[in-house]
Amino acid sequence: MHHGEIPPGTLYLLILEALSWSGELHGDGIATWIEPVSDEVLQVQEGSLYPASQRMLIEGCVTAKWRVTAGSSRAHYYRLTPLGRKQLEAESQFERVVQAITRAMQTA
Amino acid sequence: MNWLRELGSRVSMLLQRGKFDADLNEEMRLHRQLREQEEIERGLSPDQAHYAAQRRFGNDLLLREESRDMWGWTWLENLFQDVRYGLRQLRRSPGFTAAALITLALGIGANTVIFTLVDAVMLKPLRVANPSQLYRVGNGDNCCVIGNRGLHGNWGIYSYPLYQELRDHTPEFGSMAAFQAGLGEFSVRRSGLSRPTEPYVGEFVSGNYFTMFGITASAGRLISPLDDSPGAPAVAVMSYRVWKQHYGADPSVIGATFIINTMPFTLAGIAPPGFFGDTLRPDPPDFWLPLSSEPAMNGENSLLRVAGLNWLLIIGRLNPGVPLASAQSKMTVELQDWLSTRADLSAYDRSTIGNQHIVLEPGGRGVAVLQAEARTELRLLMVVSALVLLIACANIANLLLARSAARKNESLIRTALGASRRRLTRQLLTESVLLAALGGLAGLYVAFAGARTILALSFRGAHYVPISPSPSWPVLGFAFALSLVTGTVFGVAPALAASRCQPGEALAGAGRATRGRSSLPSKSLVIVQVALSLALLTAAGLLTASLRNLESQRFGFQTEGRFVVRVDPALSGYKLEKLPGLYQQLDAHLMQIPGVTSVAYSLYSPMRHENWADDIHIEGRPPDARDNASFDRVSPRYFETIGTRLRSGRTIGRGDTPTSRPVAVINETFARKYFSGQDALGKHFGFHYAAEFEIVGVVEDAKYQAARRPAYPTFFLPFLQISKDPKLSYLVASHYVGDIELRMGGETHNLDSLVRRTLADIDPDLAVLDIMSLDEQVARNFNEDRLVARLTALFGLLALIVACVGLYGVTAYNVARRTNEIGIRMALGARRTSVLSMVLRGALLQVGLGLALGIPAALAGCRLLSSLLYGVKSYDPTILGLAVATLAACTLLAGIIPARRATKVDPMVALRCE
Repeated sequence: MHHGEIPPGTLYLLILEALSWSGELHGDGIATWIEPVSDEVLQVQEGSLYPASQRMLIEGCVTAKWRVTAGSSRAHYYRLTPLGRKQLEAESQFERVVQAITRAMQTA
Repeated sequence: MNWLRELGSRVSMLLQRGKFDADLNEEMRLHRQLREQEEIERGLSPDQAHYAAQRRFGNDLLLREESRDMWGWTWLENLFQDVRYGLRQLRRSPGFTAAALITLALGIGANTVIFTLVDAVMLKPLRVANPSQLYRVGNGDNCCVIGNRGLHGNWGIYSYPLYQELRDHTPEFGSMAAFQAGLGEFSVRRSGLSRPTEPYVGEFVSGNYFTMFGITASAGRLISPLDDSPGAPAVAVMSYRVWKQHYGADPSVIGATFIINTMPFTLAGIAPPGFFGDTLRPDPPDFWLPLSSEPAMNGENSLLRVAGLNWLLIIGRLNPGVPLASAQSKMTVELQDWLSTRADLSAYDRSTIGNQHIVLEPGGRGVAVLQAEARTELRLLMVVSALVLLIACANIANLLLARSAARKNESLIRTALGASRRRLTRQLLTESVLLAALGGLAGLYVAFAGARTILALSFRGAHYVPISPSPSWPVLGFAFALSLVTGTVFGVAPALAASRCQPGEALAGAGRATRGRSSLPSKSLVIVQVALSLALLTAAGLLTASLRNLESQRFGFQTEGRFVVRVDPALSGYKLEKLPGLYQQLDAHLMQIPGVTSVAYSLYSPMRHENWADDIHIEGRPPDARDNASFDRVSPRYFETIGTRLRSGRTIGRGDTPTSRPVAVINETFARKYFSGQDALGKHFGFHYAAEFEIVGVVEDAKYQAARRPAYPTFFLPFLQISKDPKLSYLVASHYVGDIELRMGGETHNLDSLVRRTLADIDPDLAVLDIMSLDEQVARNFNEDRLVARLTALFGLLALIVACVGLYGVTAYNVARRTNEIGIRMALGARRTSVLSMVLRGALLQVGLGLALGIPAALAGCRLLSSLLYGVKSYDPTILGLAVATLAACTLLAGIIPARRATKVDPMVALRCE
């Protein structure tokens, strides 16, 4: 693992968490939500969330729909499915992941 | 269920690939746009904002690819891409593609043909219910010798009373059916129609024959146990093929009366299509008759009630769960018990009862006579065709190696552009498997055409062969698997070679190599090809020589201008008393056919592949149960007509009448064996115990049955000296003429119809079974040898051509690559001859090494052939030398052509061509 790359799985949980807090987000919104959480330590390239979102679409954790945004342009909105919600609950280890990240920050 | 839903969404993504791709693109574009705007709002210039957004987002091309990878169809897309690209590559080099496809088609085709035969002959079960439950009772091979009264040891053929005994006392078998060992010849006419009688073949079967096989009639009904009881009305079952082809599937034949060998039968029904009886053989039975009708048809010659006459084979359905060994030992005990109750056994036979046993053999493929005969040949052909394919693979691998070297630049550039080694290898493998698959398709066509020819070759003389040449599912599967394996085998080396390159090389200077890395593998491939081809050529030479020896050996008779007419007066209901009248007319009538110079008739003609052997007793010699000899009945002028020379005394003549003293003519082997070289003339011998025949002549040995073995001790008797001994009444069948021999002085057109008309003049009911030249009759004995020799020769030729093409290809390719170097050498003053020898040296070295490896390989391989060879040793130096010389000459030629081209290189052109 190169420095700054996030541990596998973390990004999924971050996306799930983002959607469960905000209900509905487009890619840009998810990235914006994740940014403060990861506190730039993870230095995720924002594009990385697209392979992850494709994967989650296939697994059926999220659905996506084109909608018009407030600024009257189009955006692809993601939303959690019941399956995604269940997965998030099951993996409420999320807390632990956050702790792990925190530890990583401290040692960094 | 998650994986199912996942698969569903994956498939929907595959189907709507375009839409998902566009969505993703759009989404990512919008994302970056938004970021760009944010940066502009923060006060960056548009250019700076663009780059900043890009940095935050990452490499969008790579990310898009990664996202698409998530759909899980990358492999499929790559495969499509590779196949498309591969096809384009093949189209771009039509010469290479054609050469490779032809080689492959022949290689795969040859293997598929042989597998078609293996599948049809060795693997396919009978088309009956649950063939795996069937067992043949006894696997002893002592078929068809009617006079065989001795005890067999390992039993396989039974008399009717013994069959009844075994059937009724072995409850381990759910049912057990008996049928005739060899097919009988029937003359058949539908009653009430004016159609002439036609010859057919058929067999007597027990009443439970069809129920035991578990098959049902395709029309009418089949023979039932009720039909097979004394006094039951005589019924017959017709094969589906005869019904369809000779009676136009006419439903009115069912219930109609058919005259079979002059006896009326009611046709009960038609057997199902695809049922060809109990044995896979050419000319399978056309009719089945119940055993109970045999006594009425054969009259005083009937076999049915004679306890000591073995003429029936048995197949039964073993009950599930019965251990084979226990059923086997139980039946052996039954057999021994039954034998010990028989009063008519000789003391010698009695002493051997303890050795009599029965072995149960899987019977799902019926009586495996053909299988046993063909096993060695098929195995040999499989090895040979596999060798051809191996050589073909080596050749194509070589062509591919040469091509991949030529395509080196391409793969270097692809590597430099980031193609992974795996992807590159996979691409090349896809190409070679694609090539092999196309070759396999062409091979199927070759196989279909080839199977027809091979069937015709192997069953020469047969009217119908129940083996279909069209590829079956197992054959198609075999060809497909073979193509895949082939493609991988010849594709792996070039693919690995190509993937091993470093991108740096591409930039350093393309294709300037003087010593390529690929030349070592490609040279070893040529060496292997030469070695294998030598082994094949030697085998082909040996088998061809063996066939020639077989066909041109001294048979002890002449074939030139001789014809054989096969008849069977017993079919037309001739009784013994009528025979003298018939024989008197035969000679006189047939002599009137223009061109006929001599006429004779006999029970068997030479090399008819039939034989009647019996126990004999020599006067003055202590009785020995092992004394026996073959015998034949012959007419006056018989030996003169077939060209067998008289050694001493006289032949059978007109003076040998029913009332004159009984005489016999013996052959030299008989004289040697029983009179150890002393003058046999005037000595006496006879069947079993009597010594009624006086020897009046000795003739040279002639072969009547086995072409590979020396002639059997044989004696010849006149036709009409009939024994009055009631114990010899079973010999009655021997007085019926079986073959008429004609010697022709010149060419005669339509001999066939002339003979038929002449015989019809004598008696319209006399059935002519076949007419052929004695040459043809002899030739039919060598069907298998001929097939194997011809195919091996063909395969050997293929191997030779392929090896030459391979050497030519490698040499030409090396010359092409070294054009530059050769140009420099010549510019520096090298002579043409030295360039020629430089190039040829490489080729010669490969050929030399190949031959050095091939000679021991050929010697070792051909030792396996020994059992098939006649009159030639497996290490025959002439043939090996000939094979070496042929191979050396052809490959030398293949090397010289490109080498000469090298000497024509113009130094200036060569230097400029960079």
